[in-house]
Amino acid sequence: MTIGYDIIRETARTLYDQALKRIPENSKAALEKALETESSPSARTTLEFMIKSARRAEEKATYVCSDAGFPVYFVKIGTNARFEGDIKSAFVDAFDELVRTIEPPILKFVTNPLTGERSYHGKDMPHITWDFVSDDDCIDITCSPKALGSGRWAALEIFSYPKLEEIERYILDVSIRAGSQHCPPVVIGVGIGGSFDHAAKMAKLQTLRPFGTLNPEPILAAMEERLTRAVNKTGFGPMGTGGDTTALGVHIDYASGHGFTPVAVCFNCWINRRTRARINNDGEVAYLE
Amino acid sequence: MSEYILDLPVSRDLARSLKLGDTVFLRGDAVITAGYPTHQRLMDCVEQDRPPPVSMDGGAFFHLGCMSREEKGALRPLYVNPTTSTRFNAFMPRIIEHFGLTFVGGKGGLDDACVAAMKKTGCVYLSILGGGAPLLTEGIEAICETGWNDLIVQFRLSRVRLDMFGPLTVAIDAHGNSVYADLSADAKARLPDIMRALARDRSIQM
Repeated sequence: MTIGYDIIRETARTLYDQALKRIPENSKAALEKALETESSPSARTTLEFMIKSARRAEEKATYVCSDAGFPVYFVKIGTNARFEGDIKSAFVDAFDELVRTIEPPILKFVTNPLTGERSYHGKDMPHITWDFVSDDDCIDITCSPKALGSGRWAALEIFSYPKLEEIERYILDVSIRAGSQHCPPVVIGVGIGGSFDHAAKMAKLQTLRPFGTLNPEPILAAMEERLTRAVNKTGFGPMGTGGDTTALGVHIDYASGHGFTPVAVCFNCWINRRTRARINNDGEVAYLE
Repeated sequence: MSEYILDLPVSRDLARSLKLGDTVFLRGDAVITAGYPTHQRLMDCVEQDRPPPVSMDGGAFFHLGCMSREEKGALRPLYVNPTTSTRFNAFMPRIIEHFGLTFVGGKGGLDDACVAAMKKTGCVYLSILGGGAPLLTEGIEAICETGWNDLIVQFRLSRVRLDMFGPLTVAIDAHGNSVYADLSADAKARLPDIMRALARDRSIQM
């Protein structure tokens, strides 16, 4: 059995469609949990409005946020997966099909950075990151549409032999610079070490990690816990109008590298758009998020 | 903190009476756009002292994107959502003063120069929930007119009729107070304490 072009295209299209119209279950749970501890009455009202908005979008099969962003996919390919057809084209064609068929229609957000021209299409669309998984026989696809609201505030700096204190200070500085503007409460993804590009990729992948999952590295698990507490002491709160809940979580990964240490920090807004599916060699699709 | 249902346009006195943290629902006409090129064109209008295609004098101007569909000769609003206002910081002081706006809004606030222009003019910034599209859209009754229709739909200058649009939060008042400036200043002031707490937690956890 093989994984065909058609099933990949249909799955990629469905993942993008669903990512715009609902928020992950663990994000909803994190917002509900934040309500239990949030002490500011206006921040509580905003959190309640967010949860209500998410529910209404699901009921009406419409968008939580009107900014569809641009499509970003993370694809993990099992080394025993078998394909039929051009799987790269399946993702490109899925985006074309989505633009043609989605209801309500999405706005034009794909932007040419040189001319400012907006379209439904553009160079290197969609953004796809490919990876391999040993001894697996499926393709695992995560869709995470990226928009301006939180996308604009990511940052990366390269340090030489930084102490943990210096790294943590940088994460806080980037968070304070984003302030009220990245549609908090956010998830903060951090990548430490490796190379320039790898640090950024780690940070991004950490924004995709579900809330409530424990970092397998004890040193990072402790760092995540104290940094979440620290970011929430800044006081920006839901939608940045004040409160205890600025971040629902700080997720960190690291990689060994050289004496220079890149630290990348990026954000996903409170909607935390993310959908995920696996397609087995027999063509069966399981939607995981 | 109070809750108000307000009919647009509001008087300058009413705008000046609103306080940080007040909640507002709006009825009546407002002008919206989410476009950077639209702001450039508005600045051209300001500099050349000619009117934009949709009148903005003394009114409400929001950084809102809107998707619509033409049905039976009219535009039906499908959904709206705010965009980040600070992207337009460079344009907003002159736009606020020139058109004598009483309400501006979007998400993320505006900078100090805008706050100063708002104080001078008697204008309030209303924070609109990013990601509130399904609920906010229920407060859009109609799209009355659009200008600069050569632009993509969310960039056009559009006059919309609101009916209980909200809830919106007064985040910058007409007296120079801004929750965004206050929260940023507070966070920066708190940073040494936060760093001390991190150092303490680090020593316990490691």
